[in-house]
Amino acid sequence: MKFQIEDVTVYFPYDNIYPEQYSYMLELKRALDAKGHCLLEMPTGTGKTIALLSLITSYVLAKPSNPVKLLYCTRTVHEMEKTLAELRFLHGYQVKELGPSAGILALGLSSRKNLCVNPRVVSAENRDSVDAACRKLTASWVRAVAIENPDIPKCDFFESYEKAASDAVLPPGVYTLQDLRAFGKQKGWCPYFLARRMVQFANVVVYSYQYLLDPKVAGIISKEMQRETVVVFDEAHNIDNVCIEALSVNVRTQTLDGASRNLSRMSQEIERLKATDAGRLRAEYNRLVDGLAQRGDLLSGDTWLANPALPDDILKEAVPGNIRRAEHFLSVLRRFVQYLKGRLQTESVEKEGPVTFVASINSQVGIDQKMLKFCYDRLHSLMLTLEITDTDEFLHIQTICDLATLVGTYTRGFSIIIEPFDERMPHIPDPVLQLCCHDASLAIKPVFERFQSVVITSGTLSPIDVYPRLLNFNPVVSRSFTISLTRDCICPMVLTRGSDQLPVSTKYDLRSDPGVEKNYGKLLLEMASVVPDGIVCFFVSYSYMDGIVNSWHESGILKEIMKHKLVFIETHDVVETTLALDNYRRACDSGRGAVFFSVARGKVAEGIDFDRHYGRLVIMFGIPFQYTLSRILLARLEYLRETFQIKEGDFLTFDALRQAAQCVGRVIRSKADYGMMIFADKRYSRHDKRSKLPSWILSHLRDAHMNLSTDMAVHIAREFLRKMAQPYDKSGAMGKRTLLSQEDLEKMVNGVEEMVF
Amino acid sequence: MSDKHVIKRAKYKSSTKDPGVPGVLKLSIERFIFMPNDQKSGVKLNVEFKIVKGHKFTKEGSKQALLNLTQEQGGNYIFEFDSFTDRDVCREFVARAIAFYTEGGKAVPERTAPPVTNEQLSSIETECRIKLLQENSELQTLHKQFVFGGILTDDEFWATRKKLLDQNDSRRPKQRLALKNEMWSVKPLSDGQSNRVTFNLTPELIHQIFAEKPAVRQAYLKFVPHKMTDMEFWTKYSRAQYLHSTRNVVAAAAEAAEDEELAVFLKRDDMLANEARRKIRRVDPTVDIEADEGDDYTHLPDHGLVRDEAKDVLDSQYEPYRRSFSQDLNQHSAVVLQGRVVDVGLSDPRGVAEALTRKKQAELSDDKLNTNFEKELSNRISRSAELEDLRGPRDPAVAPLSIKDPKDYFDSQQANALKALGDTGSAAKPLISSASAGQAYDSLRNVIIDINEMGLTEPIMNQEVSLKVLNGLTQSISSTKFHLGNSSNDSILDMLPKVTKEELLHHWTSVQELLKHFWSSYPLTTKYLYNKVTRLKDAMSQVYPKLQEIKESVQSDFRHQVSLLVHPMLQALDAAFAHYDADVQRRSAKSGEKRNGFM
Repeated sequence: MKFQIEDVTVYFPYDNIYPEQYSYMLELKRALDAKGHCLLEMPTGTGKTIALLSLITSYVLAKPSNPVKLLYCTRTVHEMEKTLAELRFLHGYQVKELGPSAGILALGLSSRKNLCVNPRVVSAENRDSVDAACRKLTASWVRAVAIENPDIPKCDFFESYEKAASDAVLPPGVYTLQDLRAFGKQKGWCPYFLARRMVQFANVVVYSYQYLLDPKVAGIISKEMQRETVVVFDEAHNIDNVCIEALSVNVRTQTLDGASRNLSRMSQEIERLKATDAGRLRAEYNRLVDGLAQRGDLLSGDTWLANPALPDDILKEAVPGNIRRAEHFLSVLRRFVQYLKGRLQTESVEKEGPVTFVASINSQVGIDQKMLKFCYDRLHSLMLTLEITDTDEFLHIQTICDLATLVGTYTRGFSIIIEPFDERMPHIPDPVLQLCCHDASLAIKPVFERFQSVVITSGTLSPIDVYPRLLNFNPVVSRSFTISLTRDCICPMVLTRGSDQLPVSTKYDLRSDPGVEKNYGKLLLEMASVVPDGIVCFFVSYSYMDGIVNSWHESGILKEIMKHKLVFIETHDVVETTLALDNYRRACDSGRGAVFFSVARGKVAEGIDFDRHYGRLVIMFGIPFQYTLSRILLARLEYLRETFQIKEGDFLTFDALRQAAQCVGRVIRSKADYGMMIFADKRYSRHDKRSKLPSWILSHLRDAHMNLSTDMAVHIAREFLRKMAQPYDKSGAMGKRTLLSQEDLEKMVNGVEEMVF
Repeated sequence: MSDKHVIKRAKYKSSTKDPGVPGVLKLSIERFIFMPNDQKSGVKLNVEFKIVKGHKFTKEGSKQALLNLTQEQGGNYIFEFDSFTDRDVCREFVARAIAFYTEGGKAVPERTAPPVTNEQLSSIETECRIKLLQENSELQTLHKQFVFGGILTDDEFWATRKKLLDQNDSRRPKQRLALKNEMWSVKPLSDGQSNRVTFNLTPELIHQIFAEKPAVRQAYLKFVPHKMTDMEFWTKYSRAQYLHSTRNVVAAAAEAAEDEELAVFLKRDDMLANEARRKIRRVDPTVDIEADEGDDYTHLPDHGLVRDEAKDVLDSQYEPYRRSFSQDLNQHSAVVLQGRVVDVGLSDPRGVAEALTRKKQAELSDDKLNTNFEKELSNRISRSAELEDLRGPRDPAVAPLSIKDPKDYFDSQQANALKALGDTGSAAKPLISSASAGQAYDSLRNVIIDINEMGLTEPIMNQEVSLKVLNGLTQSISSTKFHLGNSSNDSILDMLPKVTKEELLHHWTSVQELLKHFWSSYPLTTKYLYNKVTRLKDAMSQVYPKLQEIKESVQSDFRHQVSLLVHPMLQALDAAFAHYDADVQRRSAKSGEKRNGFM
């Protein structure tokens, strides 16, 4: 269908539209017109992504004079694939309606590990070894040598990509990572480098948050993206955590040992180079005098990712004289590592701010703040000069330089915490130095500054006023939409007691109580016998999940559950978890039914959808509070209180409840879908906790469902499932319209009907 | 028939207890011949399948692989086979042969010229048809009645059942057996007095262990029987399991260091890890968390915030011995989901192990060949990307239920439904109306005597009792109405004598069959169709007297109900005849007109 939103004709690939999608587009369009940032909360299951994509692409089509680029950031690769699949669907529709003029180029971008097609390279174990293996074949100096000596292996894909030069382009279309790989294989071009280059020309780029937020990688966009870009952060409820993690570093003894090894290897290299090719070192020196901005004259294939989180002047400024020479720089680093080693010897916990830390470095080993600030870039320049290809071996020294640059750059919003051992295991020495960032706005600041519109959207952004404060920006539009349901297809329940009427909770004193474990097990068992297809369970932590699953196994509850459904479980190992998820889906597809055990704040909770038959019920066992005794968390809470006047308790509850809401919110995909959510903890019945849940869940939480025991919950579940299995009228005939056709929309725009939301 | 002969080693037994005479069993489509190894023993058999009525066999996994052929005149032949696979081959063959004679063979003498088929049928197709007839008794009677009765040709009969044939295509994989979703609990049985621990292993469990733990399977193939016996192997395995169940990683490592065979069981399964790495490339990208690692720059070692999770601190030398319950759980569920992939007897662990290994290798080579897998995946993703209620519905992908005999299935379903209904009260109990007049009179008299003696009690009836009676009556009335409305066989048909009931059902299906063919032949465009209709009409006209016969044969109290049942059949037949007559008239009129016109 197509319809007008003010002066823009929106092409929407379906015959009907939800009213909230329409309002969402309206708000978004106003934000784009105002060239400002916006914050939009809309529940899951209302087709946020497709609404957003249709509006922005249609906006571009309507205003061809002002080509706006869309940068769509997802948290995970699989969300990237899903977004691109939706975009492909939309794009197909637009081309059908408008002809080839609507053609766009859209692509996903990921690391070499996900894009490489060279079988020798991609078989490496992790990302860094794939990167290194690639560099070994494609670095300019390797290829230069290979011209003379044909025995040196090269990457055929990269070679033919280079040979095709500017002819190597992607025809218009939508490319998922898989499509890119297939295209690369077919043409014989390296998909990774092709995608990297095509990013400049693409109308839509979908990639991970980290490519914008993490200074270590964000450089990839610093040159190529113009100001007229709309940046979207989807599923952004955790964006503050991503931001602070991006700027946090921790250092252990192993890191320091590794860094020392790296340094001695580099000094050997320098000696070797001095003997064979002293000119190269001199050239580097001269380059550094001119400032880091001149690095552009290095070959583009070798680009190190620049650091946009740093102030602009660093790029123009000359590198301080005392670290320009390679040996001098190495000796600075050696002293710094030595200093850190000394600090790790501490007996007691120490906590200080960056300013004190830098002052103490200066006084003890004579490295000043400016030198620290340049460490990161100086190191990479040196590594390029030394022609180091096995970069995965040098991660340790890179970590040290990250730390140096961060403490040298920022004076507030950070703290340095040194702990000699883990609080919970005081007898095992495990010293760690952590530089933790507390201020989420630091990492995202360059993004807000550089791009004209930044859209932050998610299913759970409650309370919505917290985010502008945490991220320090002024949205022109900030709205929260509710969901208009045709029928009550979600059924949240708060379960406070087991069948024996004893309270259940994961509160510290009740956590390992066998009665609570048994009641939780009985709840799942009863539900497994009632609910068809998939059930998802979330636990508060890995250790708790391991413990409770083992105790269920021993008491035979697990065996009973397995009589009804297959059981899969999330583990620390991502490969295994992925396979478990795949099998879980297959078990649901085949009608066998399955239970998936997962962890709140874990990888699965972060981005896997359990929509339709993949999740008819979600049980949240307990409230996923953070570990409140953690010093990092305490330091952050203190910072929040001082800077934003956010109370500790409020923040902790807000954080825990948004995680819980995130976990349960993944059951609904559309209004035809249905699912139940059980919050199994007595603390959910308290108003201060419950009220932090998003409004779309609260509005369906009936008073009668706020304090249930297991048997009552089972009864409600039975009734609910029976009701949901009946056919229903999709358009929502009873007074409120939940599905609009093109005519409805036209009528509405003409003012016949007024939208009420 | 794909293979004309089967020759297997077997023992002939006069009874199940009999040790049996070893020899060779030869099967051909007409007869089976048994030749004993010992020529002198005198137990030679040469029996035609014509006289064999049925066959029975022991379940797989039981002690002996037996096949029992029963004769028409009573008496049977029992054979014991060395393995279940041999037995199954023979069993299938025998089944085919018997079917051939019971269904086709009997008719042959009656009709020397079998129904003409105008196209040569492939052997697969015939086999498929025969199989269908075997599985579905109803179809078999129909087939016998019409095809061998000469009313329909074989092709005509099957033409209306194309769908059945397609479904039962032998190319379709056989329905696979599922595995039990039960983990081998490593809870050892200890007697409490000594330190002995006992484990129980069954062939089923061994199969499960082999499927879940490729390393154990490989070790079995490697060690047994050259290096150790079956018993020793499993003892060792159980020991390893016991060590795991104690969760003492250090002790496990220490034991493993001393005994290299034990170490195989205690170490992490490398084959599983390899397999995981292979499978991960074929995983649905929308659940691929592993791919995220590629873009995750904050969780580099030493970056980001330290996780709050407590870590187990363990020396690296013990690392390979650490195994978590979750891993086992996932692996177990994955195997159960896959179902039983091998089709061999469970009694032979070695056979199972080899079959599983072969299967895995086949999968591996399949992977390399399967190229359109990626396409399929991307299709699936784009399908799941759509919002289902914003667009029209798609046909759901349905897998047809494999129901062997639909009648049986639906009857049993109905019985279940009625049972559920019956739970609510006594209403669904069949009404017993067999009390004779004398009994009724006696009982009435007794009641009157009672009342005469004691007088009427103050409330004539106990309130509770009367309520119960009232409730019972109401329910019984409403439910009979319900039953009658549905004409379920629990109400009327079950009350009829069994013979009548079966006859009625039979006539119903045959009338249906005839009518189906009758109506599908209109309009009569060819001579062939005309002939067919004539044949059908004759057959239908024979049904009338038969139905009348049934009506008259039943007792008077059922006659009304039977006629109710028969009525729709008669109506349908009448309609067909009316159509036929009208058509004949129209034709003759037309041809007459034509003739007039032309002449």
